[in-house]
Amino acid sequence: MSGLALRQGAILALALLVPSLFVMLAGKDPVATWGVLLGYTLGSWDGFSDVLVRAIPLTLLGLGVAVAFRGGIFNIGGEGQLIAGAVLAVAASPLLQGLGWFALPLYLLAGMLGGAAAGGVVGWLRTRYSANEIIVTILMNYVFLQLLTWVIRGPLQEPMGFLPRSFVIGDGLKLGLLDAGSRLHAGLFVAVAAAVVLQVFLTRSAFGFGLDVIGRSAEVARYAGIRPARLVVLGLLLSGALGGLAGAVEIAGVFHRLEDNFAAGLGLSAIAVALMAGLRPALIPFTAILFGIFHVGSGALQRQLSLPFPLVWIVQGVVILAFLAARAVQAQHGRRT
Amino acid sequence: MSTPLLAVDGVSRRFPGVLANDEVSLTLQRGEVLGLLGENGAGKSTLMNILAGIVSPDAGEIRVDGRVADLRTPRHAAAAGIGMVHQHFTLIGAMSVCDNLALGERRVGGFLVDRGAIARRAAALARELRIELDLDAQVDALSVGQQQQVEIVKALSGDPAILILDEPTAVLAPEERAGLFDLLARLAAKGTGVVLISHRLEDIMACCDRVVVLRHGRVVGSGAVAGLARDDLIRMVIGDEIVPVERAPAVPGEAVLSVQDLVLHRANGTPAIDGASFTVHRHEIVALCGVEGNGQSELVQIVAGMQSPDGGTIDYRLRGSPLIGPQGVATLRQHGVAHIAEDRLRHAVLGDLSLADNWLLTALFPRALAPHGWLDRAEAARQCTAALRQFDIKARDAMVPLAHLSGGNQQKLVLARELHDEPPLVIAAHPTRGLDARTIAFVQGQLLQARDRGAGVLLLTADLDEVWALADRVMVMSAGRLHGPVPVGSTSRHQVGHWMTGPR
Amino acid sequence: MELALLTGLLAAGLRLSMSIGIAALGEAVAQRSGTINVGIEGIMLVGAFLAAYGALTTGSPWGGLALAVLGGMVLAGIQAWFTIVLRTDQIVTGIAFVILGLGLSGFLFRISMGGAPSSLPAFRPLDLGPLTALPLVGPVLFGQNILFYLALVAAFGIWFVMKRTRLGLAIRACGENPAAADAAGIRVNRVRAGCTVFGGAMAALGGAYLAIAQINSFVEDMVVGRGFLAIACVVFGRWHPIGVLLAAITFGLAEAAQIRLQTWVPGVPYQFFLMLPYVLGIAALAAMARSAALPKALGRPFQSHRRR
Repeated sequence: MSGLALRQGAILALALLVPSLFVMLAGKDPVATWGVLLGYTLGSWDGFSDVLVRAIPLTLLGLGVAVAFRGGIFNIGGEGQLIAGAVLAVAASPLLQGLGWFALPLYLLAGMLGGAAAGGVVGWLRTRYSANEIIVTILMNYVFLQLLTWVIRGPLQEPMGFLPRSFVIGDGLKLGLLDAGSRLHAGLFVAVAAAVVLQVFLTRSAFGFGLDVIGRSAEVARYAGIRPARLVVLGLLLSGALGGLAGAVEIAGVFHRLEDNFAAGLGLSAIAVALMAGLRPALIPFTAILFGIFHVGSGALQRQLSLPFPLVWIVQGVVILAFLAARAVQAQHGRRT
Repeated sequence: MSTPLLAVDGVSRRFPGVLANDEVSLTLQRGEVLGLLGENGAGKSTLMNILAGIVSPDAGEIRVDGRVADLRTPRHAAAAGIGMVHQHFTLIGAMSVCDNLALGERRVGGFLVDRGAIARRAAALARELRIELDLDAQVDALSVGQQQQVEIVKALSGDPAILILDEPTAVLAPEERAGLFDLLARLAAKGTGVVLISHRLEDIMACCDRVVVLRHGRVVGSGAVAGLARDDLIRMVIGDEIVPVERAPAVPGEAVLSVQDLVLHRANGTPAIDGASFTVHRHEIVALCGVEGNGQSELVQIVAGMQSPDGGTIDYRLRGSPLIGPQGVATLRQHGVAHIAEDRLRHAVLGDLSLADNWLLTALFPRALAPHGWLDRAEAARQCTAALRQFDIKARDAMVPLAHLSGGNQQKLVLARELHDEPPLVIAAHPTRGLDARTIAFVQGQLLQARDRGAGVLLLTADLDEVWALADRVMVMSAGRLHGPVPVGSTSRHQVGHWMTGPR
Repeated sequence: MELALLTGLLAAGLRLSMSIGIAALGEAVAQRSGTINVGIEGIMLVGAFLAAYGALTTGSPWGGLALAVLGGMVLAGIQAWFTIVLRTDQIVTGIAFVILGLGLSGFLFRISMGGAPSSLPAFRPLDLGPLTALPLVGPVLFGQNILFYLALVAAFGIWFVMKRTRLGLAIRACGENPAAADAAGIRVNRVRAGCTVFGGAMAALGGAYLAIAQINSFVEDMVVGRGFLAIACVVFGRWHPIGVLLAAITFGLAEAAQIRLQTWVPGVPYQFFLMLPYVLGIAALAAMARSAALPKALGRPFQSHRRR
């Protein structure tokens, strides 16, 4: 067994070991814990359908992250763009009442526009002011969170005016359930379609190629006649649009109305999803399912074993670090041979 | 006869493909200013790197004050008494002069930076050398000449017996040069041995007591400056072999590129290009020569569309209607301008992409391989594979990452890619730099073929042999101004060397 | 404006600024050496939890402080190993630590303290007798808790070290021109690792401040983006310790104002005031991004070529 494989094996082992240590710290048996996690998420339709439900927005948001990261743009604002899209889509929904089966596509389009606008602002700040998009997008997340808090207590609040949540969107805009016994909805098709479309688009179009080039070197891009600034803005528009779509789909398929914290944790997880897929759209649905397993599984662990839910973040953080370590070890190995 | 302060004895150093130093021997006496003269690639840099402890020699010995010196690392070299002033300063622009001097202190001071001690030492040196030093000034805000003075004081802080300066006048304005020569004279008067590495004859003759000339890694001449004429030195530097021109004469066609009064300013306001005008025609190769730093790289970047000039016009007459004025890269490529970039790895290719993808890179504009915005990867792979065969490029197939290819094969791929569409204007910047002899011959043959097929070629090169082998006309850039272009037949290597190595 | 209102605003503003300020001071040092740490949000969270836990178990806020600093150094140490030894991407590694910090603080909080907020032994505002009784200046400048004054001392200490000592010189060289620093004999990666660990300790201290000097309790995800605001402070303050502190005070005043503005301007929904610090941060980044004070080698890993 080569030294490389050995080191990568050690990394994998540590990735499994560290969360297990925390499980033991909480006084539970790690083996039983893994059993419950996998048993629920993969062994029961209840669990697996929930995994898929979680994987839908993770896929869409992850695609948005991948588009940006491929161009060397660190868009960490997925959660904010998701909220922006959801808010715009819900706000526009009363206008779409009588439009028959145009209504749903227009609703989703509104979501994409909202997200794209949010992404576009970041693109403008970056190209015009050289503002660091990492911090700007993160801060914008908090701004949009407040925006959500406001609209569900103000302009978009439900007619009764009691609870902090919006009105329900029209029936024509709801994404139908695929299976009456679960929460799995037609947004699944949207997510899969998006992944396919983006895989083709990013690998076969001049735009996608240009994005790959500027992600590696702005100087080579200029030599080839590509204008980095233009692609950065377009990339952020697309990235934001995908995030907005994720928000619109999540409302149309799961919540049917805007609520506090409906998007909790999606933003950071989507980054992990995109990174683990190597920024490849075709692989993102699969890593989305993996992180869906972590998320839903942690919920089950809390219900059945009283393991605190934040364990899911420990797992995700360790997984990302293990992934980074494995890649670094691979690169070192490549340099020496 | 006293022991020389520095004795280089039979030093040789080989790099893959080239013998950079070939049994070089020279001596330096105390209080003497020795000039090291030679073209780019003559071996000056390698010898200097050996003395500075950055590179180790394959053979030979170096003695300081009669004792063999251990020059394993830059620290050892400094300990042996050799101080270096590099061409590219090792100063940190955002920090003050005092901080930079403190950084150069070899004595590991205490916790605090002893500003007082640094100030005293610097003031003493400044007095002796009759320069002015503002300790609190930020290095970024100083003129280049002043920065160089800081670099010199920094190098002197270790009290070296020998000070080596690498192309110190390359970045100085004419009035600053006199100041530098005075400084060096005073330094020598104190007993320090000074080695001045330069390509500029004027400087060597103004400043040095003796000179050693390097060519192709060997010492081809030396002597007291007083006893040598300028022409003797030029002959030693460039040699006087006549390279037979073995190519068919070509009749130049219509103009493809017309540059008028081009101007480019540097950040500090001085002109990098000071009103350059020339034309390149079809069926002709025009060579642009000059020593690094005289503005020719920038000129090429502007003509290739990668940089905007501050003044002047550039007209292109390529495929389709004429293009007036400076253009962007996308437009130029669309109309048929090829650019073989000077710095391949920084500009022209992406190492971790496949050969086919690198082929695709410059086909985005003119959209040849990306009609309607969709990549035609199959066609790119086909063209690339054909090129691998045609150009004898050693690669398994078009899918391997470009970084797996040797430098020579990478350059061949770039050439194949750029010349593929038979572009009417080819801009080739140092196309054979760093390549082995066989590849050089191949590249040169390709450029001649392109010219025979009807292209106009602007060739940027520092190699006079290459100029005589390829060019129909030649122009020389010196301090931002152009000499020529003149037909190659109506001038001599001597004349070109003359233009390259000194003021007008 | 009434004196009492102004006094209250300024005093609260200064008090609220220090959690961001302390973290920002540490990040400024780390960035000066050339490493960017976006993970300080996570380290602040862990620091807040450890401070709460330590204070509860030892019965003294100093115990909490010590535990927090330790935890911050360990986390930052691991992060430094990733970014400096393994040369992983600094941004992505930082994000991983944000996620990790979220998980560690939440998980450990629930299993050790039952997940319920409780009142903690904390640093109370000092009463310096006649000084604190001065109108306006008294409560504002002399009525803060002891950590506040320690933070001020730290800021001046950092300023002195950076400007006048060989260590500060080395740190600055590593961030501006690591090749030149290397040529001068400085162990660039060692300096960077040390600065990263220092940044982690300060971030944890900032989180601790939140838990045992400002809010005096621990709630999950109580940091709400202050770690990122700290990074905005570094840019806003142009990497200068005093500038960074002033930037943090600006954010603190915005936060203090936001609570009061809700009552003064009842027509505007309170969420818009809550947005204020974040919008300010974005504006600061846009205005200051092209600053000449940016360490030129920031974010780029370095490898010494000295052995040949």
